[in-house]
Amino acid sequence: MKKHVWFKKQTLVFISIIIVSCGQVKDETVLTIAISSDIRGFDPAMAVDIRTGGVISLVYDHLVRFGSGTELLSSIAKDWSISEDGRTYTFSMNPSARFHDETYILAQDVIFSIKRVLDPTNHSPQTWLFDKIVGAKEFMEGKTKEIKGLEARNDYTLRIEIIKPFAPFIQYLAMPSAAIVNSSKSDKIRNVPAGSGPWKLDYWEKDGELVFSRNDDYWGEPPIMSGLKIRILSETLTQSAEFEVGNLDIFNIPALELLQWTQKKEWRDNIFSIDELNIWYIAMNCSRKPFDDVRVRKAMNISLDREKILRLLLANTGIQASGPVPPLLLRNSPPNPYPYDPALAIELLKSAGHGNGFQTKLWAAGGSEIFHVLEAFQSYWGAIGIEVEIMRSDWNVFKTAVRAGRPDLYYLDWFADYPDGENFLFPLFHSSESMTKRNRYKNSEVDKLIETIQLLPIGNQRDSLIEKTNRVIFNEAPWVFLWHSQTNMVTQSTITGYVPKTIFNSERYTNIVRK
Amino acid sequence: MVHFIVRRILQTIPVLFGVIVITFILMYLVPGDPVVSMVGERYDEETIHKLRKELHLDDSLPMQFVHYVSNVLRGDFGKSFVTGGPVSEELLIKLPNTLILAVASMIIAIITGLTMGIVSSLRPQSILDKITMLFALAGISVPVFWVGLMLVLFIGVFLQWLPPTGFGGIEYIILPAITLGLRSAAYLARLTRATMLDVLNQDYIRTARMKMLPEWKVILKHGFPNILIPIITVIGTDFGSYLSGAVLTESIFGWPGIGRYALEAILKRDFPVIQGTVLFMALMFILANLIVDIFYGIVDPRIRIEGKNG
Repeated sequence: MKKHVWFKKQTLVFISIIIVSCGQVKDETVLTIAISSDIRGFDPAMAVDIRTGGVISLVYDHLVRFGSGTELLSSIAKDWSISEDGRTYTFSMNPSARFHDETYILAQDVIFSIKRVLDPTNHSPQTWLFDKIVGAKEFMEGKTKEIKGLEARNDYTLRIEIIKPFAPFIQYLAMPSAAIVNSSKSDKIRNVPAGSGPWKLDYWEKDGELVFSRNDDYWGEPPIMSGLKIRILSETLTQSAEFEVGNLDIFNIPALELLQWTQKKEWRDNIFSIDELNIWYIAMNCSRKPFDDVRVRKAMNISLDREKILRLLLANTGIQASGPVPPLLLRNSPPNPYPYDPALAIELLKSAGHGNGFQTKLWAAGGSEIFHVLEAFQSYWGAIGIEVEIMRSDWNVFKTAVRAGRPDLYYLDWFADYPDGENFLFPLFHSSESMTKRNRYKNSEVDKLIETIQLLPIGNQRDSLIEKTNRVIFNEAPWVFLWHSQTNMVTQSTITGYVPKTIFNSERYTNIVRK
Repeated sequence: MVHFIVRRILQTIPVLFGVIVITFILMYLVPGDPVVSMVGERYDEETIHKLRKELHLDDSLPMQFVHYVSNVLRGDFGKSFVTGGPVSEELLIKLPNTLILAVASMIIAIITGLTMGIVSSLRPQSILDKITMLFALAGISVPVFWVGLMLVLFIGVFLQWLPPTGFGGIEYIILPAITLGLRSAAYLARLTRATMLDVLNQDYIRTARMKMLPEWKVILKHGFPNILIPIITVIGTDFGSYLSGAVLTESIFGWPGIGRYALEAILKRDFPVIQGTVLFMALMFILANLIVDIFYGIVDPRIRIEGKNG
């Protein structure tokens, strides 16, 4: 009998412990967000993906940085000047800026950081950012130990000289791989950041979470919240569940769920939408039949009812694309999108000698959330006699195939590295890029236009040329231009100060506060 | 017993070597290129060429194999192509998380499975038996990811009794452990019921009952030990598979274990991590089976003696 009572008591104690431990005490001063997979590490030289780039920007600073929109702001460089020939940049650095270990950020640190990216022993895939600097090629080939075009005039004045004028170079300096690294702390940089940013890393449980605390000694404006937790949750459903129970403060709503979220009373007023700098497209292999014929490519474009697909399948979370460059980066309105005209599409196919249609394959990678859209394309193309087989594969197989030029058609997106029209032209349509890693499009007029854009300073002439190139590419239709998508974020009602950002690495979570 | 264990350990060597050979060959047969996952979108051909050279991907297959095996023999599984971290170190970091989940799942499976099985066998064809067996059938039939998602939704979101996902304290382990342990629990329940029913019809049980022993003593002292061999087999093999990571459960619940590590590596063609995790999983499975064999020897001395004679 006594044993029975003892057992009951122990059981009660055990249950109480579980209940108490389950009553989570939420730290109100910590902001919690989620990303879908882990970062590659804290080495800016290896930051090639959006997630890693975003986290790098929390713990590092740059000479310049992007604002909420497409504007460029001063950062470690309090001001800068560009020579008349557009080749020499002189930066005047903030003398009060310090790394996390309290040492001052000097011009030599910036030079060290750029050299790290270019150093051939580091095998950084980001050398394209700095290979335009005078002497960079020789340094990369191991012929010199210094880079001629980098000069620290004194501790706080830096001069960078590039081979040819290139207006977006200043924007390159705001990208994740251009982060300024503390030269004395870079030995464990893959796991431990060596930066100066507004957040300091407390710990990193790989595939679990990244926990940061506020850098109270930040040289700029420190974050309002005392901590930032980034959880790694690969499933959208679990992210959504965590948000609903209040364990996440900000959640990126998938397009398919937007309608459902806007109908929820408690959150509909906290949904933020932003037009992102991106393009979703279907690339056509322009170097072989049948897509070497512009009539076939145009038929592919006008046989899709984009407006309907966007409205019915994607909850209107985008605008129809008319060329690769997003409207935000064009001074004037872009041309009208291709209309939905299946009758004309059939005529075009007939005139191209494909009156009986043809069979082709569309490659796509990624999760299942997009396949209903691809099936809609398949149906539209089927209606004009083009039989399309969808080839699903994982990302690696897909990318390897695209690089080798195997797919006739592939579905992909492009997100801006920096907010400039050139970023949507050179890497995607210049023949040196397209013929080796993309859809094998070659047009000497487009090449020349892009090369001219690269040499021109910011201004009307450059803007007009970007618009012209966009129009030429639109008329050539090397892609099926789909849409520029919108991102929708929802925050808890207790969160204020959140402003969605156009460029991914400008989000630093410094102005957010919990009511 | 020592002889038995040594012999079993020696038998694992050719198995592990086979695993290394098969994994290695499969790596190079699957389509895709690991370097493509490493370079982002703005790479140039020279970067690709340099990286392939650095990672020995352009060496001949036999050369790469010799290089890999010699490193493995020194305990070096290589470095991740993606993060640059040593694979053995990263595996050791993730092992405790996987171990915690495996143990918790097994505890749930053993307690519920055995209890349900024994209770059912005592009242065969009763309502209780039918409900229990229906539950067991459902447990075996429903997919793990569905159970996981339902638990996240109902327990985590609607009832808010437990955090839907994550890791940390005891509250985080319960849902993933139920998800992972449910199938074993169901299988154990069916197995326990069937074997127990068989044992309860044996002569020695009738003898025990005739000796007027209390029923619980008949069941636990005379019946239960005689169903242990198949039970231990199931527990051992399931535990071995849990230790090698539970990809779906870990992905749904954001649990930073070996299964998720392996999945990410497969998607990124991170060869050293794939090879390291597969080898590690094989090792865990072999170890679990070895422990089961040792337990056989303890539970049933005839096996030990036969092993010795054989």
